[in-house]
Amino acid sequence: MEIIIIILAFIIATLTGLFSKKRSVIEFFSVAASLIAFVESVIAALKVSFHGAYSSTVFFSVDSLGAIVMLIIGFIGLAVTIYSIQYLRKETDKNVIGFKRVKQYFILLNLFLLAMFLAITASSPIFAWICIEATTLSTAFLISFYNKPSSMEAAWKYLIINSVGLLLAFFGTLLYFTSVSQSGGTGLVSWQLLLANVSHLDPLLAKIAFIFALIGYGTKVGFAPMHTWLPDAHSKAPAPVSALLSGVLLNVALVIVLKFKVITDACVGSDFSQNLLIAFGLLSILIASLIIFNQKNYKRLIAYSSIENMGVMALGFGFGGLGIFAAILHMIYNALTKSALFLSAGTIFLKYSSTKIAKVKGALTALPVTSILFLIGFFIITGTPPSGIFLTKVYILTAGFKSHPVISIVALLLMVILFVGFLKHVVAMVFGEKPETVKTGEESIWLIIPPVVLIAVVLCLSFFIPPFLYNLIKDATLHY
Amino acid sequence: MGIIFLTLIFLHLTKKNFIATVAYAIQSFAIVIILLNSFFETGNIYMYVVILATLIIKVILAPLFFNRLIKKHDLVFSASTYLNTPLMLIIIAVLTFVANSRKFAPLTGIIPANQTLLSLALSSIFISLFLIVNRKGTLSQILGILSLENSIVAFIVFAGLEQSVGLQVGVIFDIFIWIIIAFMFMSMIHKHFGSQDITSMKNLKD
Repeated sequence: MEIIIIILAFIIATLTGLFSKKRSVIEFFSVAASLIAFVESVIAALKVSFHGAYSSTVFFSVDSLGAIVMLIIGFIGLAVTIYSIQYLRKETDKNVIGFKRVKQYFILLNLFLLAMFLAITASSPIFAWICIEATTLSTAFLISFYNKPSSMEAAWKYLIINSVGLLLAFFGTLLYFTSVSQSGGTGLVSWQLLLANVSHLDPLLAKIAFIFALIGYGTKVGFAPMHTWLPDAHSKAPAPVSALLSGVLLNVALVIVLKFKVITDACVGSDFSQNLLIAFGLLSILIASLIIFNQKNYKRLIAYSSIENMGVMALGFGFGGLGIFAAILHMIYNALTKSALFLSAGTIFLKYSSTKIAKVKGALTALPVTSILFLIGFFIITGTPPSGIFLTKVYILTAGFKSHPVISIVALLLMVILFVGFLKHVVAMVFGEKPETVKTGEESIWLIIPPVVLIAVVLCLSFFIPPFLYNLIKDATLHY
Repeated sequence: MGIIFLTLIFLHLTKKNFIATVAYAIQSFAIVIILLNSFFETGNIYMYVVILATLIIKVILAPLFFNRLIKKHDLVFSASTYLNTPLMLIIIAVLTFVANSRKFAPLTGIIPANQTLLSLALSSIFISLFLIVNRKGTLSQILGILSLENSIVAFIVFAGLEQSVGLQVGVIFDIFIWIIIAFMFMSMIHKHFGSQDITSMKNLKD
């Protein structure tokens, strides 16, 4: 029932965006839809936590990890929608965009959020694929939102690379279906049906299918070497969209990979998928760590941090055991912090009218609250103690030291390198003398509240995990 | 299946955009025939919807969209390739050989009776991927992606992995939206860069 309400809420908000000529009405319906989606996500999460996974209709089902990601989409979606209102008003004041663009933005934002909710709750892998493809289609125009050559180029790159990736994922998905066709199954093939028929799946075919699914959906996750679209898309999209792309979409795609991992593990054992995840994870951390030093754009800086963190999660799921628990927790912390960082970056962009690190000096004087948020976000995301991410990284590496000591040590060294590289840029931006042309003072209270709430929640979750969320994480750890 | 394979080779060789879109239309029509054949074998009456949607979207609408774009922007010749023709043909031969090798026997042997067809479909998948990376033009890249999708559809049919009609329609609808979005992006790219050559895009170097 929850997902039906979420679908209706977003459809109404999208239709309002299409037909209404009043900006405030479009904004109101978008926030209302996001709020409803968040409330329904909480209800779904509580249900799963206390009564286990459930299917509301034949098309939708929610398990523990799905419920966690629903909470992430709902919460960050609400924060981003609220932030977007003021962000776009500031852009309109500067004559960067007009009303038509605002309409387009909210229509696509609502469709994007809806597609992510559908992808995570879809009971069929093909339906999930259609929804993931829908996220690509809805966000392509959001990335090219500013209609500049650079944003157009980033959007084209995003469209082509992700489309190829998703077609490979589609191919991989269908290879899993041989188990069902061989057992004479017909009709809608669900994740559960694939798992139930895994004994009919040829192990060699399962391995090939997983490679296609991992490379395909891994492109969307941002695993290296398929990550090349990610820094461009995240840096050229409006900041609230970057927050959603980085904080939410990558996790949705990762969960789809994990669903295939469960089926593959049941067929060929866990070593195969775990080794692949470790390889992609380590490569992602390596690429991010080495490239972050030379970054000139602070949104790209955060985007590379996303690649690193997705790599850390892949390592966690690859190491198994405690690593999986830590990786799920890492997913929550990273999603919240990364979104807060992108929203803070959006406010910095509004103030300085540039995303170049060299042009942002003395942010602490110009934007005191936002800069402090940016600093806190930086310390959390790089795993500075006593943040939650510090603990999850320690847990993941601890899990790895037993089975893959060399990889764990290399990963640890790379994380230190990344911290130093990130710190160098953040210090250059936050401290020093601000340019005289930049006025002192925050842009708006509504640009501060969403990132403050996100950071506050991640800090709270670093020290206390509510029992219902703990149950979900524990259950997801056992399943994945 | 032979038609799909040959049109792909042709897409690699042709320098004219109009002929490339015609080749894609022929390739898509071959897919319609494959689906029609599958319909006669399975007898699923609802397959008509999928066949009709494929015919309208891939054989008629997509080539029409692209030809309109070619005429509007006078894009008679496609942008060049990264590799020269002899090297390109060698790589195509290698990819075809790899698809027919023992390494991919688990894939091509899903239905032993269709092994040759599945090998050809797998070759087409690899050659489509090569088309996407080797071409510098946006239209060629789009045709590469659509050919990749056609090759996968052919593989699915010969491997007996067709999905329920509802999902197949969903996938085709997705492809349709994708074609419209790609078409719009091509127009916008031409507006911004005055060319369809992706090597003219050099704005992401910060």
